[in-house]
Amino acid sequence: MTEPTNSEDWSLHAYADGEIAGQESRALDERLAGDPEARAKVEAWRRQKALLREAFDPVLDQTVPANIKAALRHHRGFSLSPYAIAAALALLIIGGAAGWFTSLQMNAPEAMQFADLAIEAHEVFTREERHAVEVAANDSEHLTSWLSKRIGQKLVVPDLTARGYTFLGGRLLAAGTQPAAQLMYEDQAKRRITIFLTANQAGAESKFIVEEKRGITACYWLDGPLGFVIAGEQSRDDIMSLAHMVYKSFES
Amino acid sequence: MNFRADLTAEIPYLRRFARGLTGDPALADDLVQDCVERAMVKSHLYDPTRPLRAWLYAVLRNIHVSGLRRERRAGIVKTVEDLTGPEAMLRPTQEGGTLFLQVASALDRLPDQQREVLILVAVEEMSYRDVAEITGVPVGTVMSRLSRARSALRELIGEEAKPSLRRIK
Repeated sequence: MTEPTNSEDWSLHAYADGEIAGQESRALDERLAGDPEARAKVEAWRRQKALLREAFDPVLDQTVPANIKAALRHHRGFSLSPYAIAAALALLIIGGAAGWFTSLQMNAPEAMQFADLAIEAHEVFTREERHAVEVAANDSEHLTSWLSKRIGQKLVVPDLTARGYTFLGGRLLAAGTQPAAQLMYEDQAKRRITIFLTANQAGAESKFIVEEKRGITACYWLDGPLGFVIAGEQSRDDIMSLAHMVYKSFES
Repeated sequence: MNFRADLTAEIPYLRRFARGLTGDPALADDLVQDCVERAMVKSHLYDPTRPLRAWLYAVLRNIHVSGLRRERRAGIVKTVEDLTGPEAMLRPTQEGGTLFLQVASALDRLPDQQREVLILVAVEEMSYRDVAEITGVPVGTVMSRLSRARSALRELIGEEAKPSLRRIK
């Protein structure tokens, strides 16, 4: 193995790799024209480069294996197209006319899907012990600034201690291609609730809408820039009362 | 918001980079799979003002390096059989396959730190600055590793590498 013997070798490497531009490059062109040894070096490196490319380039045209494609679906949360979310949000706005504390029968599959997002995330992550949250409550300042940045809206962590719930922390979720946040709380009996937040791009308002699925009650609403879902295995009254508290904490 | 689409477009390059690092197509694709999973989970750490490919290369390289450390701790040593993995056996007559094996076995004799720099510069065409960032060393170190790697590889596969390699077939 040979070490580069002088500073000229460095500029030759840089020249061979296209790192040098402008005047310096023209100066090297001139130098190489009169220096066959240097020229031979640069040419040898370029041949080496071409050889490496020839060895490794074929993979660029090969079909990507299924396990790698499947890894693209590996993320915290679930997948739903933004169109389905938009359609669901639109239906929520229509459904909102039914009023506060009212259960609404929504038949459209899109709306069911929207509710499913929060319920599924609730089911998946509230079962976790050590990895229930991505950022724990003791780092809530970082958590809120990070999630606010990702969602594109200022988020706060609602204080639910008056109902006996301690904040555990939160995580980023993917709702289709749109980021969403999940905040998790726990009461003394270790019962958990989650709040799901995502940007409400239409900016519309709605009333509270309730849905129950697999023993989980979810209440959701749109409030200007944000859409909310609160989910838990608690009674409908408890969930509604918590929803009201969450709603209030974002009122400012 | 098209992180997944952008990531998908980078997969062929990740596969090439991983092959350059490992010299083993099956191992390389495992590495890419881990890298894609991690990138999806850690997408919030990606700064969109910076090139995605360099970020992904850093993610992939870190997974690879921590894997190498694990292997060393566990005393696992690469064997010649590792280099002639299943994919190579499947298509032994293809020109690309043969050249790939020759180059991979030569690269395997370079120190890891030289190898990654050479692959990033010569195959992936990353700038010295990007390479410095991906590998976490100063640009001067990148250049000295590159220079050593080039000399070493030249000795390993010879000046007229390509014609002689073709003759082996």
